[in-house]
Amino acid sequence: MRNIKNEKTGAADNRLLAWGDKYRIFVLFALVLVFMSIFAPRFFNVFNLTAIMKTVSMNACVAIGFTIVMISGQLDLSIGTVITFAGVLGLSLKQYLGYGGAVPVAILAGVLVGLVNGLLVAKAKINSFIVTLGTMTILQGAIYTITGGNSISLSTPDAFAVSDFLGMRLIPLVTPRVIITAVLVLVFELIMRKTQAGRNFYLVGGNRNTAWLAGIKTDNYLIAAFILSGGLAAVGGIFFAMESSAATLKLGDQSLMYVISATIIGGTAMSGGKGGVFRTVVAILTLEMLYTGIILFGLGNEVKIFIAGLILAFVVLYEAYAFYKHEKEVGKRPELVKEVLTLGLGKAGKVQGVRKSGGAA
Amino acid sequence: MKRAITFIIAAALSLALTGFAFAAGGQESGGTAAKGNLEASLKIDTSTLKSADNQLLLKPSTDNRKVPTRPSNPDALPETDPLHWYDMEWAGWNVTKTNIPASPKTGAIGKKIIFIVHGDHPWTTACINGAKKVADAYTMTFKPLSPNWDLAVQNQMIDQAINERPDMILLIPLDAKTAPQQARKINQAGIPLILFNTLPSAEAMNYAITWTGPDDFGQFRLLSRAFADELRKRNPGAKEIGVAYVQHAPGGSPYFARCFGPISELSGYAPEIKTLDKQAPGFEADKTMQLVSDWLTRFGKDLKGIVAADDSAQSLGISEALKKAGREDVLVVAAGNSKQGMDLVKEGKLFAITYQTAEGDGGLAVATAADWFNGKEIPLRKNLAQHIITKADVDGFYPPQW
Repeated sequence: MRNIKNEKTGAADNRLLAWGDKYRIFVLFALVLVFMSIFAPRFFNVFNLTAIMKTVSMNACVAIGFTIVMISGQLDLSIGTVITFAGVLGLSLKQYLGYGGAVPVAILAGVLVGLVNGLLVAKAKINSFIVTLGTMTILQGAIYTITGGNSISLSTPDAFAVSDFLGMRLIPLVTPRVIITAVLVLVFELIMRKTQAGRNFYLVGGNRNTAWLAGIKTDNYLIAAFILSGGLAAVGGIFFAMESSAATLKLGDQSLMYVISATIIGGTAMSGGKGGVFRTVVAILTLEMLYTGIILFGLGNEVKIFIAGLILAFVVLYEAYAFYKHEKEVGKRPELVKEVLTLGLGKAGKVQGVRKSGGAA
Repeated sequence: MKRAITFIIAAALSLALTGFAFAAGGQESGGTAAKGNLEASLKIDTSTLKSADNQLLLKPSTDNRKVPTRPSNPDALPETDPLHWYDMEWAGWNVTKTNIPASPKTGAIGKKIIFIVHGDHPWTTACINGAKKVADAYTMTFKPLSPNWDLAVQNQMIDQAINERPDMILLIPLDAKTAPQQARKINQAGIPLILFNTLPSAEAMNYAITWTGPDDFGQFRLLSRAFADELRKRNPGAKEIGVAYVQHAPGGSPYFARCFGPISELSGYAPEIKTLDKQAPGFEADKTMQLVSDWLTRFGKDLKGIVAADDSAQSLGISEALKKAGREDVLVVAAGNSKQGMDLVKEGKLFAITYQTAEGDGGLAVATAADWFNGKEIPLRKNLAQHIITKADVDGFYPPQW
């Protein structure tokens, strides 16, 4: 009888874990939104929520590509410098090409950085951590060389007009830059969920060899993931710079750790094969609401860092527990146990028998 | 799954709306100062307030240099010409103010000010303490915000500050070049703005009532003269004296002021002093130590002096590298008066540092805001008092502010 009880508890545990896996970021989002709206002064108003949406726009855009890279089982440490590089390059070229020419060039530069990363990882088989660390360092040097240590700013009326337009509230919570990000999130969420190409990223990240044996051109998918990461980081950087009418040399410095945290909190596995673009963006939104609330409470940055660390630690512990449970269940078929119980055959001995021979089932 | 997500989000929004209704009921009313405040405010004397180092918090500036005429194209001049840096050094003196609100002349007492700094640092803590001392003297509602060096967060804080409709926003722009759009946004929202501490590019000055803070260029011109005098004393008759510059983080005004300020000053005052190299290793002692060790290998005895943008981590790194190389002959000067810096001056490892009062910086910004609320005339720029600290007077600046 005890075994049956244990099976029931185990099944409930698994269901809870599965539910937690699927919905934890949405629950966290809801909790933070409700808590801050009730308790944080001036949190829940159109102006503040629009400010939050504007703030997350850049990192959300960057996180799309980063999530795809992580789903593919890789890391891209160069995103922060690509943001800066695209911002600096785009604004520098504006006086020669106008935004019509400068924006595509800046995005293309990000794509090229991604292509180099992808080729080195996929073809030269170098670890993505090392490759992107190298790209990051080279780009930092390039940025300082191009700018001579000077930030770039545009104070012309047309630059201010573009800046005002990108920051303008069209409808509550929505500015043009938010729309650009939202469209990108939607498009890539659909691609990743509904198309074969999108699902192949998961397969490549889950098990590269199996994916290759299944006929998937794994190298192409890895290269594509890095290209998307570079390109989308550049999109985030250039549009942020355009709205600020300026690009500092530290523009993307804070984005890397922020995006990595959000991607993990959003449920994307560092080992690859699991996660989602939309979940990462919800995680970014959740973190930003949390940070904003902390500021509105008048608490310091140390509290912000502490709480963000706490959430990340909780998620990592949860992931570790889920992994432990998963490993414990490998080779077992709990759904068969459930079926046996449902059919009323759940006598201790039989269930025990099922468990003992679970591997064969 | 979709249903579950929809349910969670719908439930959250409904609860949030309920919360909003409660929160709205509890919001503070925008503080309106009574007209009688003005007289009471004018009676408040902040001139005797002291900073943690027992110096006067609001020392009057003794700098009486005249503002030179702007060259038609400063960029065309060589970097060694002081006028090449005109738009930075004299930013704010030649601007066309745009949409600056008139002083309400209702007194500073009870006003609400939002004080946005650049990031967390012991200097910032001291700066906020100084600002708070003045704000408390006027019983102002004082709200400091720190974006922790993140431009996106600083922009968001500006949006939030505008949303709160304070009586004034005081801002340290994270970067000189991003300041114009930030200042413009605050200006367009009709909220009075004072920029302080780091010099923004000239365009930003159009949108602010004024700028207050250290005259970094001026301080470094003063420091570089003391540096040159001592170098000459130590190297009598030398035709060339090699110096190197450990720079501030690129982008901000200190990056230029603390390197090109002395370079351009020395080109006229002591032309025999030559620049061997200039690098920005960041604010880590070990990286600076490595940089200086490389210089000592590369330039050997030709390196006679080092100008550092920071008197704490950078200066510790320099001091360690010189000690390891047994080079006590290299003269070092730096910016700031942190505890480490003043200890190094006492030990003779730093020849001189600038008096960079953090508390005074914050205090001066708030005092200027109070003057504006009180209807006083506000100059285009307000500089902190300048002073060079040497071994002779360093004891007078203890305990350190940070």
